[in-house]
Amino acid sequence: MPVEVWDIRPALAPMVSFVCALLVFIGGSRAGWRRFWSMSAALLKFIIVASMLPGTVGGVAYTFRFAEFAPGIGIGFRADALGMAFATVSSLLWVVATVYSIGYMKGERSLGRFFGFFALCVSATVALALAENLLTLFIFYEVLTISAYPLVVHDETPEALRAGRTYFTYTLTGGGVILLGIAMTYVVSDGVLAFGHNGIVPPDTTPAVLAILFVMLTLGFGVKAAIMPLHGWLPRAMVAPTPVSALLHAVAVVKAGAFGVVRTVHDVFGVELLRQTWLPDALAYLAAFTIIAASVMALLQDNLKRRLAYSTVSQLSYVLLGIALLNPWAAVAAVVHIANQAVQKVTMFFAAGAIQRTTGKTNISEMSGIGRRMPATMGAFGVAALGFTGMPLLAGFISKWHMSVGGFDSGMWWVALVMAASALLNAAYWFPMLYLAFFKPVSEEPTLGEARPSLLYPTLVCAVLVILLGLVSDLPGMPLSIARTAVAQAFGM
Amino acid sequence: MTMLLDRADYVLAIILFLIGLYALVAKSNLIKKIIGLNIMETAVFIFIITGGLARDGSPPLVTQDTTSPYHDPVSQTIVLVGIVVAVSVTALALSLVTRIHAEHGTIEADELRGGR
Amino acid sequence: MSEWPGQLLVSVLALPVTGAALCLPLHRISDRVATAWTLLVTTVTCAGAFMVSVRVSHVGPFSHHLGGWLAPWGIELRADQFGALVGLAAPVFALVVFYGVRYSRHAVEAARRGPYDALLLINLGGLLGFSFTGDLFNLFVFMELFSLSAYALVAYGKQKVAAAASFRYLVMGAFSSLLVLFSIGLLYQLTGTLNMADMAYRLADGVPHRPVVLAFGALALGFMTKAAVFPLHLWLPDAHAAAPSPVSAILSGLVVKMGIVGLIRTYDIFQGAGGVDLPTFNMGLSTLGAIAIVFGAVLALIQDDIKLMLAYSTVSNIGYIAVGLGLFNESGLTGASIHIFNHAVIKAALFLALGALTFRTGYRTVSDLRGIGRRMPITVGALSVAVISVVGVPPTAGFVTKWYLAVGAVAAARPLLAATLVFSALVMLIYYLRIVNAFYFRPAVHEEVERAVDPPLDMLAPVVLLSGASLALGLIAQVPIGIALPGVMRLLGGG
Repeated sequence: MPVEVWDIRPALAPMVSFVCALLVFIGGSRAGWRRFWSMSAALLKFIIVASMLPGTVGGVAYTFRFAEFAPGIGIGFRADALGMAFATVSSLLWVVATVYSIGYMKGERSLGRFFGFFALCVSATVALALAENLLTLFIFYEVLTISAYPLVVHDETPEALRAGRTYFTYTLTGGGVILLGIAMTYVVSDGVLAFGHNGIVPPDTTPAVLAILFVMLTLGFGVKAAIMPLHGWLPRAMVAPTPVSALLHAVAVVKAGAFGVVRTVHDVFGVELLRQTWLPDALAYLAAFTIIAASVMALLQDNLKRRLAYSTVSQLSYVLLGIALLNPWAAVAAVVHIANQAVQKVTMFFAAGAIQRTTGKTNISEMSGIGRRMPATMGAFGVAALGFTGMPLLAGFISKWHMSVGGFDSGMWWVALVMAASALLNAAYWFPMLYLAFFKPVSEEPTLGEARPSLLYPTLVCAVLVILLGLVSDLPGMPLSIARTAVAQAFGM
Repeated sequence: MTMLLDRADYVLAIILFLIGLYALVAKSNLIKKIIGLNIMETAVFIFIITGGLARDGSPPLVTQDTTSPYHDPVSQTIVLVGIVVAVSVTALALSLVTRIHAEHGTIEADELRGGR
Repeated sequence: MSEWPGQLLVSVLALPVTGAALCLPLHRISDRVATAWTLLVTTVTCAGAFMVSVRVSHVGPFSHHLGGWLAPWGIELRADQFGALVGLAAPVFALVVFYGVRYSRHAVEAARRGPYDALLLINLGGLLGFSFTGDLFNLFVFMELFSLSAYALVAYGKQKVAAAASFRYLVMGAFSSLLVLFSIGLLYQLTGTLNMADMAYRLADGVPHRPVVLAFGALALGFMTKAAVFPLHLWLPDAHAAAPSPVSAILSGLVVKMGIVGLIRTYDIFQGAGGVDLPTFNMGLSTLGAIAIVFGAVLALIQDDIKLMLAYSTVSNIGYIAVGLGLFNESGLTGASIHIFNHAVIKAALFLALGALTFRTGYRTVSDLRGIGRRMPITVGALSVAVISVVGVPPTAGFVTKWYLAVGAVAAARPLLAATLVFSALVMLIYYLRIVNAFYFRPAVHEEVERAVDPPLDMLAPVVLLSGASLALGLIAQVPIGIALPGVMRLLGGG
């Protein structure tokens, strides 16, 4: 069990970007002001989160409760290992994404609104990552839902507005289900909502209530985690500007859903309680189905961003599958995949955005020879794609390896098959594209070279991260080691 | 039957109330609605007043040599205030009717709704 | 023994009503003086009411016996927890009046402005008196004060429909007042007292059942009409939409809540009374509430006029409160009581923000106000925050209510009700999106919209404050809850 230490930093981290959002809303029409505050808040926040890492590794959970939302239910933050894994990734990627967005969005309109809500989203993400109880998590989960909307519809085209409505319909319905689930948990547990590794739900709950609760919470969070058949909003939300797609639809929003499921399984029900039921198995099958089915869907897409979207749907279910197996190895895979998938997917989105901004191309079939023209960008893209296929020494391999071991360990040999199939499918939809990009002749005269530096460098940084996460992921403070700590706590080891 | 006769005042109040309610609901003319409201108010006043009467009572003016039972002063106070309120409501309602008439040229509720 | 809280209670009730009498002569002298006087009286009164609430939250309910006559013989002024929630909302009234100074210059012609101010003050006195009395007849008198002034204030609306709407409101209101009066008369005959606490005590102690049930029915029906609980809401939408915006804010925010406070008083009186089947009544009330939530939400959906939309949203929100009361458990009642306060703040923010848009552009429909978001960013921003709050998205005040009601419904083993609570709000939100989209993401269709700018500070500040409060109250919800909870316990403990 981690030692609780009273510290303001878990609350300070979300607060930083919240204040940043306010400042940007106020003076956002001036580019310099916007840029200064966005960058300094991103850096400051990352420093705050990173400064808590040594404590997390050392078994300390920094805790801070401020407003009592209502008697007995505080808004509280607690930086445990699981939360830190997610918070570190999102705050690090925010720094990178801010640099990228400043470059990408140059010359667009309503930038004050854009950067304000961008900061608000990250604030909500870190807050929900560090939430100490279920209600705090839910509150920021919904804040995230709302503040992502203006980003989804940023282009203000009818298509964007339609996508926004779809997004809202899905996520808010999911949110409603979660709220009912939390209310039920609150009644069942007699007023306890704080996460605990023995779970919140008392062991003597009847199986029927347990089943209803589990279905409500996992499917409610599952909407954002885009578990099939609840994934419909994600591909459509790709009309958003690319940095939004990258940070929100590969990291913050969807991961919030996956993270919610992890919390539900580990800290609301507790591993012990769920072992006695059939519920996690059902989730595992659904997740496995999503992994395969979404990959097949991805194969059919020509639009690069849509293919990335279906790939995201598929990858998110890794997290769900890993968590549903209730096996320490698989659970490590789930937690570490939150980081790995985020970094890999952000790399690819950044590359896709760089291509779109530099050449105006959005469909894969038009990208013949693009690798020769933009070798660095496409090289980064290739590294991430290889990561997704599970190439050793890259981030994705760590996830796949732990997952497969976990599958065998818990007697579910089919998990390894799913991993293999997914790797093949990933290869099937990324390799032809890489081939097209690098070995096919250039379709037109290369009038432009690489993307501009503010787009290129963040992409390269992310690609380097993909490699680092494959090589040194078990150093203290890196995702694998944090994931191990988190899982050890959840499984009481 | 005897109970009904015993409570003739209540029966009267109920009949009056129903007449007023009929006028309020069924009549389209706004003035008639107001009259209906007034009849209902009267019914309630009668109900409260008669409930506070004492048999062979005198008015509730207590002097030193009062011996006989007297009527309940509180009931009468309630009704007095009630009347004041009723008059104000009627006044306001009537002034609204004049404005409606000036603006719409009619005080029939069904025509008002149709012409909106 | 300190007497000041009692004196405070008296002055809070006496000041606005006597102040109103001075409004007319002052208005003869000078418009400015009359306005200043109205503002002064409102501010002092509302501050006083707020202090009463603070005292209730610190030391619990307290009474003052007028003229030193002790209850049950004299008239008892009593500030309890539910009254304190209204007192807590009194600053909303003050903000609305503050906002209304400039608005009424624009919306009310000079000759009628004196009575307008006087009516506002009378309304305030009625609201506070109704909330701070322990005497049932006193309650009736104050009820008539705020009701009559409300009918008249609705008629200040500029549209042609205003007079007819006011008339309909008046008829329904007078009818419900009559029911209440009848019930008071009957209760007095049955118990020989008008003091509510004394009455409850005597009713618990062997009074013939049938008349008690009749009295209960009349009282409950009367207050349900005042609160516009479905299907007794018919008067509300037109009246609230036709009134000038500040009046709409007061009507939707505070005046309909009086019916709810009245219902709570009804519970207080009939708690132990034989023959009254409270569980059945509660079942019916929560069912009606659920229907109201859905009905109000659906009807709000089909409106283009934003004011009508807000009015139907009030029907829906009263449904929330009715559900909470009907659940009659700790969470449900807490949710219902704090929503008395929360909804007052939120709805006032909405009406005032919309009023500011109308003030600048002259339009009030979604389609006419397209593109206004860029022109009046602060106002529309405040409006958006309040919209998020009214549909109960965290971390706003509306969410706190929804959370308590959902927990209450689950605890009462009524999952269908819980689902209704949660999902009808979502329907609303997805629809409200249409407003936000129209305001921010659609091009303007009118020149007036293109030229509009945020209103002057004296109108903008109340809007921003109220909208900020509707957000902040989600985080400091323990303030209203802390006040409401002992009252809720009292209601539950006695039943």
